[in-house]
Amino acid sequence: MEARPSHSRAPDWAPWALLLPSLLVMLVAFVLPVGMLLARAFTQPEPGWQNFVLLWERPVYLQVLWNTVLISAAATPVALLLGYPVAHAMAHGSARTRRLLTFLVLVPFWTSLLVRSFATVILLQRRGPLNTLLMNIGLIDAPLPLIYNLTGVLLGAVQTLLPFVIFPLYSSMKRIDPSLVPAALTMGAGPVRAFLRVYLPLSLPGLMAGATFVFISMLGYFVIPALLGGPRQTMVGQLIQDQISQLGSWGVAGALSFILLAITAILLSVLNKLVGLKAVAR
Amino acid sequence: MRPWRALRVLVCTLVAIYLLAPLVVVLIISFSSAAFLRFPPPGYSWRWYANLLNDPAWMDAVGVSLRVLVPAALASTALGTASAVALVRGRMLGAGVIGAFLMAPMVVPSIITAAGLYIIYRGLGLNGTLTGMVIGHIIITLPYVFATVASALRSLDPRLEAAAATLGASPVTAFRRITLPLLAPAVLSSLLFAMVLSFDELIISLFVGSARLRTVPVQIWSNIRGDFDPTVAAIASLCFLVALTALALEALLRRRNGDRE
Amino acid sequence: MTGSLTRPTRRRLLGTAAALGAATLPQPSLAQPSRTQSLRGTTLVFASWGGAYQEAQKICYCDPFSAETGARVVQDGPMNTARFRTMIESGTPDWDVADITINTLFSGAQENMFEKIDTSIVDTSRIAPQFVHEYGIGCIAWSYNLAFNTKTFPAGRRPTGWADLFDTRKFPGKRTMLNQPVANLEAALMADGVKPADLYPLDVERALKKIDSIKPQTIFWTTNSQSQQLFVDEEVSVGIILNGRAYDASKKGADIGIAWDGNIQSVDYLVVPRGSRHKNAAMQLINTMTKAENQSKLANMIAYAPTNPAAFANIDPALAPWLSTSPENSSRGFVINAEWWRQNERRMMERWAAWKLA
Repeated sequence: MEARPSHSRAPDWAPWALLLPSLLVMLVAFVLPVGMLLARAFTQPEPGWQNFVLLWERPVYLQVLWNTVLISAAATPVALLLGYPVAHAMAHGSARTRRLLTFLVLVPFWTSLLVRSFATVILLQRRGPLNTLLMNIGLIDAPLPLIYNLTGVLLGAVQTLLPFVIFPLYSSMKRIDPSLVPAALTMGAGPVRAFLRVYLPLSLPGLMAGATFVFISMLGYFVIPALLGGPRQTMVGQLIQDQISQLGSWGVAGALSFILLAITAILLSVLNKLVGLKAVAR
Repeated sequence: MRPWRALRVLVCTLVAIYLLAPLVVVLIISFSSAAFLRFPPPGYSWRWYANLLNDPAWMDAVGVSLRVLVPAALASTALGTASAVALVRGRMLGAGVIGAFLMAPMVVPSIITAAGLYIIYRGLGLNGTLTGMVIGHIIITLPYVFATVASALRSLDPRLEAAAATLGASPVTAFRRITLPLLAPAVLSSLLFAMVLSFDELIISLFVGSARLRTVPVQIWSNIRGDFDPTVAAIASLCFLVALTALALEALLRRRNGDRE
Repeated sequence: MTGSLTRPTRRRLLGTAAALGAATLPQPSLAQPSRTQSLRGTTLVFASWGGAYQEAQKICYCDPFSAETGARVVQDGPMNTARFRTMIESGTPDWDVADITINTLFSGAQENMFEKIDTSIVDTSRIAPQFVHEYGIGCIAWSYNLAFNTKTFPAGRRPTGWADLFDTRKFPGKRTMLNQPVANLEAALMADGVKPADLYPLDVERALKKIDSIKPQTIFWTTNSQSQQLFVDEEVSVGIILNGRAYDASKKGADIGIAWDGNIQSVDYLVVPRGSRHKNAAMQLINTMTKAENQSKLANMIAYAPTNPAAFANIDPALAPWLSTSPENSSRGFVINAEWWRQNERRMMERWAAWKLA
């Protein structure tokens, strides 16, 4: 490369010129707005820590924050358990399997979350298709309560989160030599042991990246708990929306956003330390 | 190994059903003859689709959505592609940090972005305007375009450009003649995805829109909250249809491009 | 249709002048010889409660108004009082005409949220005097009722009063209540033995303690349409619902019936948000609502009673069991104390939010 004649090099400022418009848009329409909202936490209704004190003193708010963390934490293993075999089939199955599954997993990515949640409400309601089916084949006698509770939120959320676990897992797994596990087997390890000792550790970066993405995406969820959850599944996104549109308390909304973003940032930096974001960014 | 493979097939099938069932259910119920979301429908009709066409609110919403998504997707594709080229090919100091920064709107909950935009728009008088909406949608779609194009660029062999350069092409010419054509499918598919994302965006539109400027998702949202009739199922089915067509198109682009990840 | 429209009667002028004081009459009615003027090119936003009710309002108020004036009316909803407030505070409300309950009318009037009703445009003489307010005109009279699934509880085994809502042994199944304190507190206290006459001031803690007893089995509805869907889908077997919504669900095939003991009566008003950009057009839309033929049509669609006495003549007699104004129904309930709610609404809302999440 260094042998390249100097006249064919692009000028040093060229990349900056290409980047400048995006940076400007991001500064004006993203950094500034988010900053203004966060600043309200410390300035409204008057300068100081009052909004954080208020959050601390009202157990209800802390409860919602805690609920949000718990619900996100509950969704993560479900998404991982369902996503892992799918990613495995994509990484080591035939080309046709991979194409089929890729298409399938992209479906929630391309279809609106709102519309899917609405569809899920119909699917899970008391007299909905799922309950009807389960009753007709005799698995249950009375309809199961599948919505307006935690089950509803998890079933609604996990389907939208699956791509976020499957793709990082897949990109980890496709780098794993598929002959490793059979090799371990021939050396006398049982299949479970072989998987736990050989395969799982190698897929760990994808697993952790997927888990982190699922967790932080879910922290900000708003539509799904609103449509599929009950009062106990109120999440912080709804609370922020309520604070703004119902009470006009921009200060409290700012403080809640601040905490939400802080959790997100901490998790991302932990992930970065552990596996490096570059390995994950696709 | 056999039971494990069977388990894998089972889980994959379950996931497939899980992901597709809502789409199928909504499609069926959109043809219901009943005024409520009853399953199975007591009879079938086109009435909810007719309802969509006859209600100016829905047609207005489609119009607003299109007027937002076209400029927003074009702008974010241009911005995202330019940034990807700069960061991947530019050998800049701090490219990693800048890249992470451009991806930030993906991890910041959109309710926070939306509330923030609402605040600054209030000062600028941009709430309830098309311009305000378009800017918000650019922010939401930019990270996806950037990520798609950047990863496509990374997988292109830089030696192709170098080879062109040694044959006397200027870097700009080399880029235009060699890299850009190879990049085109990725750019196109990110444009498509940006359009779909913009079409689906709810929260920003909810905050910065108004009763006179409502996108399709906002109209769906207010309908779900206010109305439980199958009209929403009809529009939802149409949304699915559009999204799946776009997805199939994208898959085609990808395949023509050698099925690269 | 046009005859009575363009004739500002002497009685109306005298009546309103006496009621409001001459000083509050915004414009001499001479300045506007006709209430109907072309509004082609104007777009109004009408905000209401969504679903079957708003659909009926669209057909009975907005469509005739559009046909008459050429204006377009965009529907928005469902109503959210808090959103209404923040909208007014921002200075440029999105809405031009809004449908609100009497509680909000009282609190909003005090907070200066509405434009005064322009009686040179709105013919208030058509409306029974108790529904005419300086800042809003009553459009429907309705009630909160105890509703139940008629299949689960056939005749003879039906719940009859609020106590039955809390009796999970005799009336098993999930229940539904409002996702806000209004009417929930009243119902809980009556179930706990308080007589309607002794309800106010409401003993909130006692009411919440009562609701605590069924909280795990209760789904709290946010919008009226959701309350209907809960019964249609048989998600719940008993609950609180508005009489007109129960009628609509029943008409559309749901197995739903309502009880009238202790029904909590209320009124909806049409108001013009302060700062509306189309104030005059908004007043014309309200005037369209006051006409008897529009009101009776709406009543026939959703069983909410009219405020124009002349409208009763054209209501289907079969609807009487569903109307809160039928003598046998109204005598078994009482009118909500909107003045108490005006004074306590904010505090109650906060208390409710805290209780719900606890």
